[in-house]
Amino acid sequence: MAYTPQYYPGNTSVGANRRKHMSGNLEKLRDIPEADVVAIMGHRAPGADYPSTHPPLKEMGEPDCPIRQLVEPTPGAAAGDRVRYSQFTDSMYFAPSIPYWRSYWAAINCRGADPGTLSGRQIIEARERDIEAYTKKLMDSEMTDVARCSMRGCTVHGHSLRLEENGMMFDMLARTELGADGNVYYVKNQVGIPLDKKINVGKPMSEEELKKRTTIFRYDNISYGGKVGARKFDEALEALHHMWELRTKWGFRPE
Amino acid sequence: MAKLHTKKLFVRALTKKFGKDFDLSSQKTEYKRLGPEQSARKREFMEYAKKLEGKRGISFYNPYVHCGGIPLGQRQLVPYKLSGTEYIVEGDDLHFVNNPAMQQMWDDIRRTVIVGLDMAHEVLEKRLGKEVTPETINNYLEILNHAMPGAAVVQEHMVETHPGLVEDCNVRVFTGDDDLADEIDPQYLIDINKLFPTDQAEQLKAAIGKTTWQAIHIPTIVVRSCDGGTTSRWSAMQLSMTFIDAYNMCAGEAAVADLAYAAKHAAVLQMSDMLPARRARGPNNPGGLSFGFMADMVQTSRVKPWDPTAVSLNVVAAGTMLYDQIWLGSYMSGGVGFTQYATAAYTNDVLDDFSYYGVDYGIEKYGGFAKAPANLEVVKDLATEVTLYGIEQYESFPTLLEDHFGGSQRASVLAAASGITCAIMTGNSQAGLAGWYLSMLLHKEAWGRLGFFGYDLQDQCGPANVFSYQSDEGNPLELRGANYPNYAMNVGHQGEYAGISSAAHAGRGDAFACNPLVKVAFANPALVFDWTDIRLCFGKGGAREFRAAGERSLVMPAV
Repeated sequence: MAYTPQYYPGNTSVGANRRKHMSGNLEKLRDIPEADVVAIMGHRAPGADYPSTHPPLKEMGEPDCPIRQLVEPTPGAAAGDRVRYSQFTDSMYFAPSIPYWRSYWAAINCRGADPGTLSGRQIIEARERDIEAYTKKLMDSEMTDVARCSMRGCTVHGHSLRLEENGMMFDMLARTELGADGNVYYVKNQVGIPLDKKINVGKPMSEEELKKRTTIFRYDNISYGGKVGARKFDEALEALHHMWELRTKWGFRPE
Repeated sequence: MAKLHTKKLFVRALTKKFGKDFDLSSQKTEYKRLGPEQSARKREFMEYAKKLEGKRGISFYNPYVHCGGIPLGQRQLVPYKLSGTEYIVEGDDLHFVNNPAMQQMWDDIRRTVIVGLDMAHEVLEKRLGKEVTPETINNYLEILNHAMPGAAVVQEHMVETHPGLVEDCNVRVFTGDDDLADEIDPQYLIDINKLFPTDQAEQLKAAIGKTTWQAIHIPTIVVRSCDGGTTSRWSAMQLSMTFIDAYNMCAGEAAVADLAYAAKHAAVLQMSDMLPARRARGPNNPGGLSFGFMADMVQTSRVKPWDPTAVSLNVVAAGTMLYDQIWLGSYMSGGVGFTQYATAAYTNDVLDDFSYYGVDYGIEKYGGFAKAPANLEVVKDLATEVTLYGIEQYESFPTLLEDHFGGSQRASVLAAASGITCAIMTGNSQAGLAGWYLSMLLHKEAWGRLGFFGYDLQDQCGPANVFSYQSDEGNPLELRGANYPNYAMNVGHQGEYAGISSAAHAGRGDAFACNPLVKVAFANPALVFDWTDIRLCFGKGGAREFRAAGERSLVMPAV
């Protein structure tokens, strides 16, 4: 019998969205040109050769190794690419994704990826051509809203701050801006270096759309535990209680 | 039992920080990007740096050099209200370098050792046949308060320290024996009966019994020039010389070695343990300070015994400043970032609000402090309610979320409030710790984010370290400390653990959390830092109203 991963409990939209992110079964909402993704990442000029840290694996005369026979190298590893990153900040005001779910997405769906999770940012590192492909997937998919998520390699401050009056997430370095045409433009790359040209990444989602697609539990949308005086626990919370209790009892080991 | 607070304590602080014109519930605002000039303190820094640049002959502080010329201050730079006080200071004023009260708090710890007198008295009486009486003890203490600051006894033509530089040094004794205490000259006595509420005094005297101890606080300037490892050595030398003088001993007789051994090893209680070689610190440095000792140093428990939440909050303040700002932030890491982790726990009445909410909820449900059974169901109930309450506040007040702009800040505050609540209501520190860990897991699951890589690690595995007393897997919380394996390099936790340790005992009405000697020694009214109100003292330091010891200006040209 084929195993179907369940990924996450709960019948709420947040639970369903979390399952989608983990499964990688994501809706594609936009198609940002590869060259633009590369420019925003800022590691190499679009069209430039990939810098490498070692020759292609085929030329390296690798040892006879059962693991190497089992695991097919990613394109970036096969070519000898250096390891590079993309890092995103997601606003707590209903951004579609949240750091741990970005990491789960990467860990489950991206080969050769090294995700790292913090509160205000989430990084994925991989061989350069691999991370470019993963980043494009992220930016094109429903995991991204162009106003509430942005690629920020440094000075990421903003995930928990109030929004700008136009609904954009605060960015000290002002890497993105909302154009008069209603589209969001990257004007700086992820570490804040000005781009040669503005890059159009499309229109932001409406508040309604954000609340439908978000993976964050909030009392003013899909609540995790109800409100003061009116507690109602989501199944995700009950599952967590169960897990905490088992971890605690394991440590106690009264025998 | 009466309820102790009205809710939303942080709203007043937010109004003071962001101004009356701000809508505290709005999720949007105009970012004016006013830069560092919007802060009086940053302006002062820039002006000072400019003045000093010519003198230094090298470039200096300039907030415009980073991020391609975009300085901090793109958002509103807001001040901080010290929780439970009226002090409002700039964030910069809470870095320990800018805050003399914070420095003094740490200095007061590392310059302290507690040394038993009974062993020395036995040597004098049984080995040398000398008589020890209250009169000889008073005479000894007079000589000791001359010698301990760095003055000579017995010897000729010695150098000595300037009294104006070492005025903070003093030695007082305490005992559980009321008869002996009555005979001690009051200037040399830490009077347990006067300083502690009656029930606490009885507990302390019963624990100390008929033993006698010296609370020794060597000069601040000495530990600032050397380190905490110096304290027992400095004190032992002066103790030995004083015994020779007070009891007319021969300076070279073998019994002096016994007295020195007692003072340095056999009868000495360091404030913190030595660390292993890889961390390379001697005793009386912050890394070896147990949470229980930290809890006992703070004296709020004797001035506000009716309010265990206030007791815990002051221990959290002391602990976060020492463990996060000074130990992890400077000894172990370096830089300035760690102050942000710590301040979240003692400013703007946020942790106060969440903790008092939890205690109110617990009192209503379980009937009083330490009345709830210490089991997983109770912990689950309390920690879940407090965490969800706190999360709701962050969601309802966007300026509150903005104030605690880092996930580690929010996680520490939510988990600390949960842990404090569980500990106070059950009177059990392990139950408090279990509440801490549950809060961390709930928080991460609700928002999909917690702290940072290393921060989250210990909290994900932490529940397995609760209720376990096997030494490499558990340990009573009071005996864990900054160098406990799972806590050793983890900001935003240790001060809160100290607070949870104290919460359990304050909830039970205990006079001390871990060691009665530490509790009494830090009741010494002559300490420079005010150990009864940690946050008030930090506020004074930030407002430039606190006078620390260890000053050198007496022997330097005026600025």
